Amino acid sequence: MRFDTVIIGGGLSGLVCGIKLQKVGKKCCIVSAGQSALHFSSGAFDILDRLPDGTSVRHPLEGMRHLPSTHPYSRIGQDRMKEYVSATTGFFADCGVPLCGNPLVNSYRLSPTGDFCPAWLSLSDFFLIDEPAVDPGARILIVNIFGYLDFNPAFIAAGLEKSGATCRIIAVKLDEMERLRSNPSEMRATNIAKVLDKDYVRSELVSAVSKELKGESAIIFPAVFGLESDSVISEIRNSFDTKVHFATTMPPSVPGIRTQRKLRKHFESIGGTYLLGDTVDRAELSDDNTVLSVGTVNFGDLKLTADDYVLATGSFFSKGLCASPEKITEPVFGLDVDYVADRKNWYDTDLFATQNYISFGVSVTDDFQAVKDGRPIRNLHAIGSVLGGYNALQEGSGAGTAIMTAFRVADIIIEKEEKR
Amino acid sequence: MKTVSNDSVYDVIIIGGGATGAGTARDCALRGLKVLLIERHDIATGATGRNHGLLHSGARYAVTDRESAEECIKENMILKKIARHCVEKTDGFFLTLPEDDLGYQKTFIEACRAAGIEAEAVDPKEALIAEPSANPTITGAVRVPDGSVDPFRLTSANIIDAKLHGAHILVYSEVTDFIFDNDRVVGVKVRDHVSGEETNRYGNIIVNAAGIWGAGIVRKAGISINMFPAKGSLLIFGHRVNNVVLNRCRKPANADILVPGDTICVIGTTSDRVPYDTIDDMRVTPEEVDLLLSEGMKLAPSLEHTRIIRAYAGVRPLVAMDDDPSGRNISRGIVLLDHETRDGVKGLISITGGKLMTYRLMAEMATDLVCAKLGVSAKCVTATEPLPGSRNDSPEEISDRMSSVYANPMRSSAGRHGDMAKSISHDTEYDLSLVCECEDVSLGEVEYAIENLDVHNLVDLRRRTRVGMGTCQGELCACRAAGLLAKAHGCASKAVADLRNFMNERWKGMYPVSWGETLRENEYTLWVYAGVCGMNRKSEDKPEAKSECKSKGKSVKKEGNHEI
Repeated sequence: MRFDTVIIGGGLSGLVCGIKLQKVGKKCCIVSAGQSALHFSSGAFDILDRLPDGTSVRHPLEGMRHLPSTHPYSRIGQDRMKEYVSATTGFFADCGVPLCGNPLVNSYRLSPTGDFCPAWLSLSDFFLIDEPAVDPGARILIVNIFGYLDFNPAFIAAGLEKSGATCRIIAVKLDEMERLRSNPSEMRATNIAKVLDKDYVRSELVSAVSKELKGESAIIFPAVFGLESDSVISEIRNSFDTKVHFATTMPPSVPGIRTQRKLRKHFESIGGTYLLGDTVDRAELSDDNTVLSVGTVNFGDLKLTADDYVLATGSFFSKGLCASPEKITEPVFGLDVDYVADRKNWYDTDLFATQNYISFGVSVTDDFQAVKDGRPIRNLHAIGSVLGGYNALQEGSGAGTAIMTAFRVADIIIEKEEKR
Repeated sequence: MKTVSNDSVYDVIIIGGGATGAGTARDCALRGLKVLLIERHDIATGATGRNHGLLHSGARYAVTDRESAEECIKENMILKKIARHCVEKTDGFFLTLPEDDLGYQKTFIEACRAAGIEAEAVDPKEALIAEPSANPTITGAVRVPDGSVDPFRLTSANIIDAKLHGAHILVYSEVTDFIFDNDRVVGVKVRDHVSGEETNRYGNIIVNAAGIWGAGIVRKAGISINMFPAKGSLLIFGHRVNNVVLNRCRKPANADILVPGDTICVIGTTSDRVPYDTIDDMRVTPEEVDLLLSEGMKLAPSLEHTRIIRAYAGVRPLVAMDDDPSGRNISRGIVLLDHETRDGVKGLISITGGKLMTYRLMAEMATDLVCAKLGVSAKCVTATEPLPGSRNDSPEEISDRMSSVYANPMRSSAGRHGDMAKSISHDTEYDLSLVCECEDVSLGEVEYAIENLDVHNLVDLRRRTRVGMGTCQGELCACRAAGLLAKAHGCASKAVADLRNFMNERWKGMYPVSWGETLRENEYTLWVYAGVCGMNRKSEDKPEAKSECKSKGKSVKKEGNHEI
């Protein structure tokens, strides 16, 4: 099968790249093994909130000036970063994913453990605030679904009460929800969201909560609404006179999964091919380091060929990178990987300190061309968390890198075509 | 300093909540003594909780240490009766590999039989049918009555029975000094690590059962015991590769025992002398991991491709003979020291050395000496009196009786708590919902443990229920359990801090094996707890809540020492 571009990996980065290419008429194929990081998303995108030396970053574009030259943002360059940062909200809106937040200044989001964490742009379920505190006079009703254990209202309340707010917690028991319990492990966010997608269950919930309201200024629900469509979100908001917010749950993330689905649908609606549940397991390279074709598990002997290939396979969890006791490898192409040799140096003994292994990734040129045996591969670019040179967790730059490098590589592929 | 009034002078104060201390508390309580046990952390957190969980048949010591071998087989048979819910009768094979001398097998079998251990040579082909994971190149196999034992359950059952017989147990309480009346120890000073409070506790006899930490304890009374900490590292695999304990048929060496337990198996151990001042911080090195893996693969080759869940290390309390300050003449046997005759300090004894297998015998010996000193004539009954959990039915019978469509969580809790599982509420679907999906731990079981089994934090809860011990090492269940603890203890900010500590405690066992699936799992954990929850943002980045809890619900703090 012949495409203009084959993208290996259908997470945030692969989808953004695919959509951007497909939009200008490139025939794209995305091969996706299944779940991506969006499935356990916080509901907010981060771009940069801390420098490698620990300095907090309020204005991401300013902060980027202090990053090392091998950082993906530095490879993209300040001018392009500025352009991409401004373009992000519009790009996602076109895909049916409304984002809120000021792209030039970091805000704060509320975490499932009740902390305010820096965030860049957020899905519209959630609220962002300028300072890590809420109005001390706020009176907030926190609502949980009875028996749902992956959302802890007490943690949220403790976090909000730090700024002086008053919180009250209720758990609503819904008949329809109790049926989920016939299986002890069914009380997960996605299953609950499926039940809450039914109109009559939602109205039961709304009337139960309305009766409980005692003049609170805001209501917080767990973000388990709208697996299919975010119209449910605004519907819930419109059902109350009081402000309604949603708070991040432990995984799986309903807003994250909805976003993944929307991006995929948008990609397909503009003509892209999305192969779900398949894995690229081999690649054919020419002597001059050009990718000739890739093969997948499901297609067997039938090869996928393209002018350009994009590696968006993610890091260790997504199997974009593999670690053995001795070395770290990239399994599809056997690309060069930047990492430190002795495994004692891969980790810090404090879980929440900077873990070096998070910054390991495939070696690339300044144009994100992947490198094998020291030589760049002409038509293979790498994007997202398979890249090295940045520590997504220490810097708070995971989603930002996924989106920015996807934009950049799509542009590089488009520019190549124009030159031809 | 708060002193405790005269009515609480104990007959005996036991220092240390490992198997030996717990067993001694039970034995003393069963003989009618007024008992106080003091433990610095939670029960079973020292060497008791950091070994293979092997129910030795004694075969390992048959050739080199006849006395230990005889003690082991006797206690092996006793534990199979009194602690059924803590023990699994797996049997064991002693395998001869091509590189080992097959001639040793004869010596081995003879020594086993002489020590009273059933040992029978099995044709290698038949051994491989009985245990398909064993190395197919074996040239010999001997079957012995090894098994596996859950050291935490065993210690917990002893504690529960001691309490049923009136013993007082203080956890998270550390003995900071002895109280003397001339040449007699009459009590101890205790610091409660939860409340920070200090109290004096008085007793007629003090038993030092603090394992390797015992040398530091008696030093406070001016006494020296020549102890040599020996670090033993082990690896836990994510699957139960073998059903029969696998040993090497040769003189005991490194990494030559593979023990199945619950859904996992454990290879160990290494053995290295370590400085005494490092015993509170045992960390497994990459070199130890490599050795354990390469030797383990010789017993069961499939370990090469089996996921490693964690690495951990314990410290054996080896004691040098009194006439040998160099430590060359080390005993692995039981050491009972009467400090009155040995050091001229009245009212203090030490029970140390030995092994998990002989904890009951050690307790019996210590209690005999306590009774002799107190003039009490009651006899020991711990060799025949079943422990709570093993009194009535077998775990299978219990779970069958509780059975319903939700068999799994019930079977799991019956396995963990024996006949005590009958107290766990599985009445509603809410009780049955799963907190830990890897280990089938229900909400009812978690609430039972929090209510009844002295759970102060998530690590305590893990020891009692296995929450967070499965392949995912606590990814979802830790946060769920933290929510339940917050509810029970009425303090959310403390529960969040506890959750952070718990995830770090899990990491301590994971980083020595952080490659492959373990690294993948950890990356996911980091994305959730550091990324989504923001736990990697340092406290100075945001206003930190001191764990000042308004008195919502019931409080964990109790008056005085932290008694459970």
